[in-house]
Amino acid sequence: MLTFLRRRIISSALPLLVVILGVFFLARLTGDPANLYLPLSATPEMRAEFAARNGFDQPVLVQFGDYLAQLVHLDFGESLRTAQPAAEAVLRAFPATLQLAGVTMLLAVVGAAVVGSLAAYRPNSAADRGASFLSATAASIPDFWFAIMGVLLFSVTLGWLPTSGTVGAAAWVLPVATLLIRPFGVLVQVVRGAMVSALSAPYVKVARSKGAGEARVVFGHALRNAGAPALTVAGDLAVGMLNGAVVVETIFGWPGIGKLMIDSILQRDFAVLQAAVLITALTIFALNILIDICYALLDARVRQGVMA
Amino acid sequence: MFPLRQATPSRVPRAAVLLATGAVALTGACSVGGGSASDAGDTVRIVLPEEPPTLEPCDASLTATGRVTRSNITEPLTEREPATGEVQPKLATEWKQTSPTSWTFTLRDGVKFHDGSAFTAEDAAFSIDRTVSSDIGCNVDGYVFGDSELTTKVVDDTTLEVTSAEPDPILPLRLSFVEIVPAETDAEGKVREPVGTGPYRIEQWNQGVSLTLARYDGYWGTAPAYASARYVWRGEGSIRAAMVNSGEADIAVGLAPADGAGDAAVEYPNNETSYLRIDATKAPLDDIRVRRAINYALDKEGLVASVFAGLGEPAGQVVPDGVTGHNPDIEPWPYDMAKAKSLIKEAKADGVPVDRPITIIGRNGIYPKAAEAMEVAQNSLLEAGLRVEIKMLDVNAWLEYLLRPFPADIGPTLLQAQHGNQAGDAAFTMGQIYGSEGAQSSYGTPELDTLIEQAEQASGPERQEKFARALAHQNDEVVRDAVLAHMTGIIALSPNVEYEPNSATNDEMRLAEMRPVN
Repeated sequence: MLTFLRRRIISSALPLLVVILGVFFLARLTGDPANLYLPLSATPEMRAEFAARNGFDQPVLVQFGDYLAQLVHLDFGESLRTAQPAAEAVLRAFPATLQLAGVTMLLAVVGAAVVGSLAAYRPNSAADRGASFLSATAASIPDFWFAIMGVLLFSVTLGWLPTSGTVGAAAWVLPVATLLIRPFGVLVQVVRGAMVSALSAPYVKVARSKGAGEARVVFGHALRNAGAPALTVAGDLAVGMLNGAVVVETIFGWPGIGKLMIDSILQRDFAVLQAAVLITALTIFALNILIDICYALLDARVRQGVMA
Repeated sequence: MFPLRQATPSRVPRAAVLLATGAVALTGACSVGGGSASDAGDTVRIVLPEEPPTLEPCDASLTATGRVTRSNITEPLTEREPATGEVQPKLATEWKQTSPTSWTFTLRDGVKFHDGSAFTAEDAAFSIDRTVSSDIGCNVDGYVFGDSELTTKVVDDTTLEVTSAEPDPILPLRLSFVEIVPAETDAEGKVREPVGTGPYRIEQWNQGVSLTLARYDGYWGTAPAYASARYVWRGEGSIRAAMVNSGEADIAVGLAPADGAGDAAVEYPNNETSYLRIDATKAPLDDIRVRRAINYALDKEGLVASVFAGLGEPAGQVVPDGVTGHNPDIEPWPYDMAKAKSLIKEAKADGVPVDRPITIIGRNGIYPKAAEAMEVAQNSLLEAGLRVEIKMLDVNAWLEYLLRPFPADIGPTLLQAQHGNQAGDAAFTMGQIYGSEGAQSSYGTPELDTLIEQAEQASGPERQEKFARALAHQNDEVVRDAVLAHMTGIIALSPNVEYEPNSATNDEMRLAEMRPVN
């Protein structure tokens, strides 16, 4: 297992370096932040002073060197906008996104496993068609439309839920529902497809013939084997969510990483953007290892390959 | 086969349990702070488009900061009344000009900061120095003072002398932007949560979630109606409007007609004027007939009626009524397509390359329906006989075109712009927008420069008259712009709150002007 981890860490170092380089240099190609932070009438002296104060008067390579040197000391620099440490802003935003993504993925995976299995149990039955229709619809509804309609119906018209915010359990319903629909729809279809072939496999017949109950056959035997493709897709979807559920965070005022990244791009708040991307990249890297481990737990062949 | 069956059942559930525990732990940790639901009635709940980056008073000319800080947490020596444009006493009770370059201010006695310390001339001098002369890069310094330097002298506890390097007839107005902080405030760096003398003090700032201000019991003036104010922020306009309609908020600011505020919507002239800046240094825009043709070709009334949903008023100048220098005689250019066509034809006959492509540099979201407005303009200009393309940009990319030095690799441009003069004097408009060297100016003339300079030196009625003359000269002889409309802002207001937005509401929202409806 340790060898496996070591190998993964080494193979992820290069992409991480590319991310660090890419974000740093691409961000600086998007224009001088002085225009955004100084009044329109600012004098050239004020612009020079601003550049000097924030190190933008140095050649880009020197700036990059300084950035790397700071990074070694886990110093991510200071936000141009708030003058606070960039890491602070990222670490404040990250839990909000993690919570939202965690709850959503848990519901999506469990829900899709149950619905997808039931749909696959009797292909072309009413339940199957119903599930297929619902999941196809869910996978294709635009999230911003769903969010705004949800707010208009459940908050403004019916008054059952708050429009937005993070305070109280009720505030979770609309953001989670909005974030859930697409992964849920996609996962139901993946689970169903994998389950249809798994349920017709010989080992299922063997299980039935030795008298295993239907629930055990479906969820114990077939679903485990059908789990691998679903896990791959779920992993991708989870990574997407960590990158920031931008639409949901913006609409519902959720102070998460997606909103922070978009804002820092629009505000040319380089330090925050760099910290947000780097910390997200590290998390996604960790998540990928976690998915690999889950994979290994599900499939002995992978496990043996991994342990070797 | 066998080992697999043995091994995995025990492991998968473990993984599942781990996952589930993790998720539960996450949800458990979800009481993401945030004050309890406020008891309406006593608290006014305001939803903003964005969280204030800081509440630093010397950055109060930044909308997101000033909207919360100005006149609520901190106060200036003087205050401009948005309705009349008059400069009123605040922490200074009176002032007089003692020489062309110096002014003496008498300060209010018995004022206390939120930390209990007394306000004296020392604090006022410190605040002016910190804003204007320090190295911390105050936004107010760039916005209001530019190159000009001020020196302060404390005469006694309630008397302050302020001297400018050059004669400054509107110094008291400029000082209305300097918010007063105690002399103990950090002079080397900015502060996030300032101490002031205002009617409200900062109670709790739960970053990312909400900001609560509480009524300051030691306030020198009349106590405001609400015991506290709670700000939250939502980036999406329709959600801000929905919050007022669902009773979650009392006031939502920065709305567009399409946000659906319904009956809660309150419209007000927001002091902004939209215009197209003509890059008159490049052919064919260097020909005044073409610039006049552009003005005739744009149907301002149609634009306001169809694109701006009837909000706004066709305009002929960027200085609106209520700002010193506004010229009441300048009318919006009439819509006259025939005249536009004949001017273009005439220019073409004289060899002006009217078929050279012109680029409209637009900015997404500069005002509601910004892109649609530019499409309408493009259509009219095409009809008049010009070749026009549109390039819509985000703020920072657009700023590259707004501010000097302009990008070199572009042909003739029309820049979508909007100007708001929150200071109330045309000095904050003319030089930077129409001066030959102005930061936002694409073209000027020596005659116009002279008129602007003369106006800037004048005071009283003469000042008004000279700025008005400069504006008329711009409109008749220079024609650097195609002014579109004085814009209208929208807020959503709960029926439980009494508040009247005014031209300063965007930049300064005085909580003391809000009261519950009985």
